[in-house]
Amino acid sequence: MRVGFRSVGGCGPLGQQKPSRRAIGLRVCSAGLRFATAPMLNHDRPPLTERRVQLMATCLCDAFYDDVARATVEVLEHLGVAVEFPEGQTCCGQPAFNGGDWAASRKVVRHAVKTFAGSVPVIVPSGSCAAMMFHGAPLEFEREADLPEVEALGRRTWELADYLVNGLGLTSWPGRYDARIAFHRSCHSRGTATGEAAQRLLESIPGVTVLPFGEGEQCCGFGGTFSVSFPTISSAMGSLKLEHIRAVQPDALVSVDMSCLMHLGGLADKEGRPIRILHLAQVLRDALRQGGLLG
Amino acid sequence: MKFQQIDEYAARLRPETKASVHSGSKAGHEKRTKVLFDHFIDPDRLRRIAGDIKQHVVENLDTYLPAVEAKLRANGVHVHWAATAEAANEAVYSILQARGAKRMVKAKTMVSEETELGHFLEKRGVECVETDLGEFIVQIDGDHPSHIVKPIIHKNRREIATSFERHGLGAYNDDPETITRRARVHLRHKYLEADVGLTGANFVVAESGRIVLVTNEGNSRFCLAATKCHIAMVGIEKILPRDRDLGLLLNLLARSGTGQQLTVYTEFISGPRGPAQPDGPEEMHVVFVDNGRTDVLASECRDILRCIRCGACLNVCPVYRQASGHAYRSVYPGPVGAVLSPLLAGERFPAMADLPKASSLCGACNEVCPVNIPIPDLLLRLREKGKREGSDAAAAGTPAMGGWAVMASQPFAWKAALAGGRIMNVLPTKYVPVAALQAWQSRRTLPTWRGGTFRSWLHDRRKQQSQAGSAAPRN
Amino acid sequence: MSNDREAILGRVRQALAPLPTRAAAPDWERELVVMRHARGAVDAPALFAERLRLVNGTPIASVEELVALFVSSGWRRGYCDPALAARLRPAFPAEIVFETEFDRTRVDDYPFGITAAVGAIAETGTVILNDAATSRRLAALAPWVHVAVVPRRSIHVDLPEAVAALGGDPNIIWCTGPSKTADVEGILIEGVHGPGVQIALLVD
Repeated sequence: MRVGFRSVGGCGPLGQQKPSRRAIGLRVCSAGLRFATAPMLNHDRPPLTERRVQLMATCLCDAFYDDVARATVEVLEHLGVAVEFPEGQTCCGQPAFNGGDWAASRKVVRHAVKTFAGSVPVIVPSGSCAAMMFHGAPLEFEREADLPEVEALGRRTWELADYLVNGLGLTSWPGRYDARIAFHRSCHSRGTATGEAAQRLLESIPGVTVLPFGEGEQCCGFGGTFSVSFPTISSAMGSLKLEHIRAVQPDALVSVDMSCLMHLGGLADKEGRPIRILHLAQVLRDALRQGGLLG
Repeated sequence: MKFQQIDEYAARLRPETKASVHSGSKAGHEKRTKVLFDHFIDPDRLRRIAGDIKQHVVENLDTYLPAVEAKLRANGVHVHWAATAEAANEAVYSILQARGAKRMVKAKTMVSEETELGHFLEKRGVECVETDLGEFIVQIDGDHPSHIVKPIIHKNRREIATSFERHGLGAYNDDPETITRRARVHLRHKYLEADVGLTGANFVVAESGRIVLVTNEGNSRFCLAATKCHIAMVGIEKILPRDRDLGLLLNLLARSGTGQQLTVYTEFISGPRGPAQPDGPEEMHVVFVDNGRTDVLASECRDILRCIRCGACLNVCPVYRQASGHAYRSVYPGPVGAVLSPLLAGERFPAMADLPKASSLCGACNEVCPVNIPIPDLLLRLREKGKREGSDAAAAGTPAMGGWAVMASQPFAWKAALAGGRIMNVLPTKYVPVAALQAWQSRRTLPTWRGGTFRSWLHDRRKQQSQAGSAAPRN
Repeated sequence: MSNDREAILGRVRQALAPLPTRAAAPDWERELVVMRHARGAVDAPALFAERLRLVNGTPIASVEELVALFVSSGWRRGYCDPALAARLRPAFPAEIVFETEFDRTRVDDYPFGITAAVGAIAETGTVILNDAATSRRLAALAPWVHVAVVPRRSIHVDLPEAVAALGGDPNIIWCTGPSKTADVEGILIEGVHGPGVQIALLVD
């Protein structure tokens, strides 16, 4: 049974002083906001001791966006980080989790726990998959005997930008990349340091202008299986976002999540007005290349 | 191919309605953001503490309910308990019968929508007049509210003017001021002719036994100035522990819901009229209503009972904006409704289990909630419940994940699928009989399948790196 | 009915029984809800007037000013709390009629109503009414113009202070500006069921 802490002190209902512990994972994150009924383990990371990581490439990059995974490797290795790629990796388990089939999802998460055995950070170029590991998985494993192993993996999992800025301590990014960029803060970066970190890195690249656009807080409409079970609403949300993005005339739409980009890019494409979509990792890598910094 | 009901509702929604809902929601959201961040240095901290206060109440209702009852009684208030909607309606009716009352005016209370009090009383020969302007318009239209704070967010002035004309309130006139003045004149007489005034309660404070009403129009004030009997219908979860907690919750409620610092009228009512006061009720009743709340309390989604009915989550929700309130087929729409309505439905949960699916889990609702309810997590829990209970409504349009789970836990199968998927690049995918694929492609193109490409690139890179004499990456 | 009471309380107890512990009520400091612009020393009457204007209320600093407003607005008859009439009546021209009784059968015959407030809240521009101080609830509510007579020393700075001062009156009303609605297309209309003009006369 896990023990989590609630606010310390306080009163019982009729004014009596009460201690306050709960045994069902209610944790006040050090960053302050209690986002969820299961813990947000991105606020509970063990300290980094060496520049060695495992890469979780994500199923979308495995299937469609190989260059994003490639760029992630190139960026990390450029920083002197040793990158292991556990070959047996598949998926984070989120699609089944979101649909309510937690038994199916747990099967896949268990496989991930085995595949990513170890203690080094697991870096993933996706806010959504990272959040699945440090928040979604602990939620669906609440009553499972192997919850501690799942939590341990969650604690070690970092979205890429978060790792670069808050793990490795980067404050800026070198090289050159001449572009007007619309940066989409994907919804799974809520309650994490990812959005800030990614924006900071982008804004620091010589040549990059990050353009704010309207209704930035509104979801793009992907939502995983939501995109196929609610196609009208999903595409209406996406079209609305594209309208706001197009209004600022960017050269590229950048995000830390290929799921959002696949949806928005696919919508734009179907309309016959394609937009250029790029993952943050690709921008970082290309900035190094154009700055002559990538060997 | 069967899709989700709420998606189909959105597809059929009239563009004018969608435009009305969108602009009303967006305005509410923007006002909320501005006023909270203009006024307070750390509004998120306020929300967090308010959330902890309400969670404390929810988890200690067994102590608070008897305590509140005792305090109300000590203040001279009659306390009634209603386990079901029927019991609540019967309780109200029995109070009316005891007074021989035939005319009632009511202020806005969502609990009375749950129990369908108006219809119940009308069938028994009691005139029950809605006095909140939006609810009044809903009543004369035979319609239902589509937002918990702005009931006619889905209507425009032309529709309202037509309804007024149909109801004998004057020739067609769609000027908002004229509409409002006509309602003022018409309803004023209803108040003065009524026997009983019925309200809800935004809060009931355990420490003092006060109920608190938060309004803008003056209708609840009029109900309580003109009639001789006050009945308050209150959900059992509406309790606050201490008077001082009002200093926090009242600072959050109006700002969150409408972007106002305070609504025009905040009423603190702790009993019938004072001894020297000629106007107002001689007797006061509180009806505590369960109607499924104890089911919610027993579930793992009890956090939803913190809700103070501000409407902020509706205003920000992109799905609500596309579908509108009526798409949710229940008294409570939007994010709060997607959790509360299926649970309040009790045994009918499976029929409502599609509501928690109508979300991309973006989390904007939690970010604006004045009591920090973790709505996305609650939606996920309800999706699991819907799957476990075999709800057809929930399953519609959702790909089965059993086979995928097997493939995703067997690396050999996974790699084979990565390679095999290349066929998608040559096959006319229009003909592939996979529902999810068809649903995707009806609106979006698919990217080129490149399964296995990254892995072989990495394999080659590692070979090059070790040939170059170092297993570790160069810099 | 008592069956329902036992049924509900029983179900509540049953629902909460599995919780190993119960969430405690957090303490929170008043500092938390102090608005940015209200930090530091506050001139309560001045802040009150400023905030009341923001919600389209009308702060008035003297009886003379009130009389001038009545005359220029053409408000010629209305209700006044008899306890206040003795004090205010002399300042008004004879053609303005004060009735000291409120006849609810003639509810629309009182263009104005003057009643006593028991306090105010500076940071929100709120006037506080209650049963003890208000001679007739209807007189403060039904007329188009309501004048709340507010003693300056009774102005609280902020919500927590006003909440602490609530007391035991059975019907306390915080009025923050004229009644309004935005139900029709989100367009703000003032003067719905309550007053369309909310005046606060500050007195010593």
